[in-house]
Amino acid sequence: MTTPRTVELVVNGEHRAGDAEPRMLLSDFLREQLGLTGTHVGCEHGVCGACTVLVNGEAARSCLMLAVQAAGTEVRTIEGLGGVDDMHPLQEAFWEKHGLQCGFCTPGMLMTAVELLESTPNPSLDDIREAISSNLCRCTGYQTIVEAVQAAAERMQGEAQ
Amino acid sequence: MYVGQAIRRREDERFLRGRGRFVEDITLDQPIAHAAFVRSPHAHAAVTHVDTAQAAAMPGVLAVLTGADWTAAGHGEAEGVWPVKDMSGADSRTAYRPLICVDGVVRCVGEIVAMVVAEDRHQALDAAEAIEVAYEEKPANTITAGALDPDIPLVHPAFGTNEVMVTEHGLKEETEAALANAHHVTEVVVPTNRVTAASMEPRAYLGHYDRVNDRYTVWTTNQAPHIVRRYFTKSLHIPEHKLRVIAPDVGGGFGMKLYHYPEEGLVLWGAIVCDRPVRWVGTRSECLLGDTHARDHHTVGRMGFDENGKILGVKFETLAAFGAYESQWQASITNAYHFTMLSLAYDIPAIHTQVRAVYTNATPVDAYRGAGRPEAVYQVERMIENGAQEMGIDPLELRARNLIPPEKFPYQTALGITYDSGDPPVLMGKIKALADYDALRAEQARLRAEGQWMGIGISAFFDMAGAGPVKMMNDLGAKVGCYDVASVRVHPDGRITVFAGSHSHGQGHETTWSQIAADRLGCDIDHIDLVEGDTDRVPMGIGTWGSRSLSTAGMAVYTAADRVVAKAKRMAAHMMECAPEDLDLADGEFTVKGTDRKLSFAAVANASYHSGDRPSDLEIGLEETSFFDPADCTYPSAIHLCVVLVDPETCAVTLRNYWAVDDVGTVINPMVLHGQVHGGLVQGIGQALMEECAYDAESGQYLSGTFMDYAIPHAEDVPSFGLDAHFTRALGNPLGAKGAGESGTIGAPACICNGVIDALWHLGVRQITQPMTPKKIWRAIEDAKRTQH
Repeated sequence: MTTPRTVELVVNGEHRAGDAEPRMLLSDFLREQLGLTGTHVGCEHGVCGACTVLVNGEAARSCLMLAVQAAGTEVRTIEGLGGVDDMHPLQEAFWEKHGLQCGFCTPGMLMTAVELLESTPNPSLDDIREAISSNLCRCTGYQTIVEAVQAAAERMQGEAQ
Repeated sequence: MYVGQAIRRREDERFLRGRGRFVEDITLDQPIAHAAFVRSPHAHAAVTHVDTAQAAAMPGVLAVLTGADWTAAGHGEAEGVWPVKDMSGADSRTAYRPLICVDGVVRCVGEIVAMVVAEDRHQALDAAEAIEVAYEEKPANTITAGALDPDIPLVHPAFGTNEVMVTEHGLKEETEAALANAHHVTEVVVPTNRVTAASMEPRAYLGHYDRVNDRYTVWTTNQAPHIVRRYFTKSLHIPEHKLRVIAPDVGGGFGMKLYHYPEEGLVLWGAIVCDRPVRWVGTRSECLLGDTHARDHHTVGRMGFDENGKILGVKFETLAAFGAYESQWQASITNAYHFTMLSLAYDIPAIHTQVRAVYTNATPVDAYRGAGRPEAVYQVERMIENGAQEMGIDPLELRARNLIPPEKFPYQTALGITYDSGDPPVLMGKIKALADYDALRAEQARLRAEGQWMGIGISAFFDMAGAGPVKMMNDLGAKVGCYDVASVRVHPDGRITVFAGSHSHGQGHETTWSQIAADRLGCDIDHIDLVEGDTDRVPMGIGTWGSRSLSTAGMAVYTAADRVVAKAKRMAAHMMECAPEDLDLADGEFTVKGTDRKLSFAAVANASYHSGDRPSDLEIGLEETSFFDPADCTYPSAIHLCVVLVDPETCAVTLRNYWAVDDVGTVINPMVLHGQVHGGLVQGIGQALMEECAYDAESGQYLSGTFMDYAIPHAEDVPSFGLDAHFTRALGNPLGAKGAGESGTIGAPACICNGVIDALWHLGVRQITQPMTPKKIWRAIEDAKRTQH
């Protein structure tokens, strides 16, 4: 049970490999084996959403998934969201609208919003509130996050046209 | 001018890119070992035997340590930063929270009995499970309301009582007389629920001991690293100059991360014993159990009115929960921030309050965003609401009749505190217009006729923010000097580093402190960097809590920057052959008034370090430090108004609208201000409607140990907020700024509860305890039906 196995997967477009005991969580694997500490663990029981990453394009709680389950998948984390010189429209909008305070829930909140806007490019405010209700934030009161996601959607829609 | 501008935050990019550096993210050039703890599963028990042999032999285990080892090492305890005192001045019945169980008795679920240090976290957890602890259970009580009843088990039998201390404040005889002569007296039992901050980042600590150089380092999820350093002198007896405390990026604190927690001392102890860096990262369950809890006052109040609804007097009797031990800052609530604020925004001639602090077999209680003021506002506002309803006076109108009029400022309350500035009637006028109050009352009547339950809630209050002054806070019981400090270092190239004794864990100091400094220094904000949260880089400080940082550390930045400018002007005047008074500084240049003669700030900075040609009495260098002791606290004020809808089928509450009008004095960054208000409101909404640290009354077991059981609000649970503001200058600091961090949590619970009571008053409901869950609302309605029939 504790014998490590090699887990190979694609993270943020790069082929990566690391050792994981079968009981190792994907969140711990990303943080400890791959050094991607942008994925945060807020509750390790799947409620707070801070650890949200995209696995094959779908938002997943990386604290509820074993690393070995992620073998062969494509994982996207916060570190892959922006470029070196530019940021994703969601990152820009969170910055402009004050959609973060302490920054701990922010990576998971952003990855959740990425999934929303990739599946629903033009969400209503209610859609946004519903989508981000999978994630907890204790600082912002959510209003600025809702406004940020809306602003990013508008900008991405504008760029798409 | 940067002050007043909604500048986007300079710290945000690292968080947005996942490059924040939290305690769990720290790497060192040595492998880091991990700690795991064995915690009491019982609310009250004797620890009769601890067998660590099997655990010690397990793979990867470096050490297994117990209270006996702690005692043998001669270590101490985390003494009070703000300890309780009896009214007589005698020591209270104090039992500080131990870092690890040392006396063979555990007094609440979660108390640490043993620690394992192992190579990795899984090995530490495996070994912790292999430790065998034998307990002999004792009777326990977790309920505050009954803690002093005669047959209740004693948490600390040596004291002979569960009472920690009694404190009384205000005008006793005048209050009794006012109540006796009142036209109408309202009496309500108003308990505040036990809640916890639940910051999204769990608490975490990393300890390191450099044996060769005899230097200790602790990385901590803490809001006040200098105070941590101070109390390590008590727990591990480490001299302050030997210890470096680093609070890096911290994921929310809300007061809860202000304390020298058991795990913090224990990881450094483990690091010393194992000669290895040791880290512990709390699980959510450990944090919901071991983070300080908050509120949990059981209060009975009586308020007397004259025939016009003018409040004549109010009297409170409170049992205030301490939990199993006295936490470090506990008395800042019972002996300072609660009683002082009971007048709220009202001109109440007579107030008397008695608080009896009690031990129970529950997690220690300490400050959490608001710390005593949410309790005070809830207690007073629930009286006012019921009084208005009983007397048939419109609740907003009754409040308006009692607000402190502007001409009475500075206003001394019946509790002896003096609000320096404010204008509550203006706030009331603004919120009435913002919410379109008369239209809301008309809508309420229409909906009620249709069988729908709509309620309007109001709360109006003052906050005491910005601790110190040092002497005032000492007099209220603080054993730390409530100043703060900043240094402004101008480098020879004219760029600036600001060092501050505050700590930002979401508040945005890298932006707001730079706004203040840039204005004073006449420079580009991008020429300024801020350093906080490292006791080796910022030698002194008191940290961020109680909405104090702007009016203490922020003002130290302001003052130190002014001193830098004064010194730089002397150097510039020497270089430009004029008098310092003839110089203006703006846009990075000194200009001789009325001329076009200019000299860059950078050139003056360079000369300040590298030129031998300077005034003979001017010291080399351009760096100034200010220890700022404010002239007064700050007294921000606010009025909140909300609309709730209670579903007659399910009794679920929908918070439809929420408005707040705040007076926080001068605003540095309105975007940051709104963020503080929003966040506080949602925490207050959580307290009113869903949050509760619950214990099983029979067994003393903790029932709120996961985020499935401890409900904090999601985005769908809260509305968008309507905010407005009115500004009166604070008199105690040069910027005229008031604290702004706690208004939301202070006002929201009372406002929402008043709204729910207003929605249900016509059904005979008079009081529902927080959190106002559908089950409690349904029960209250059913009880009211039975009473009426």
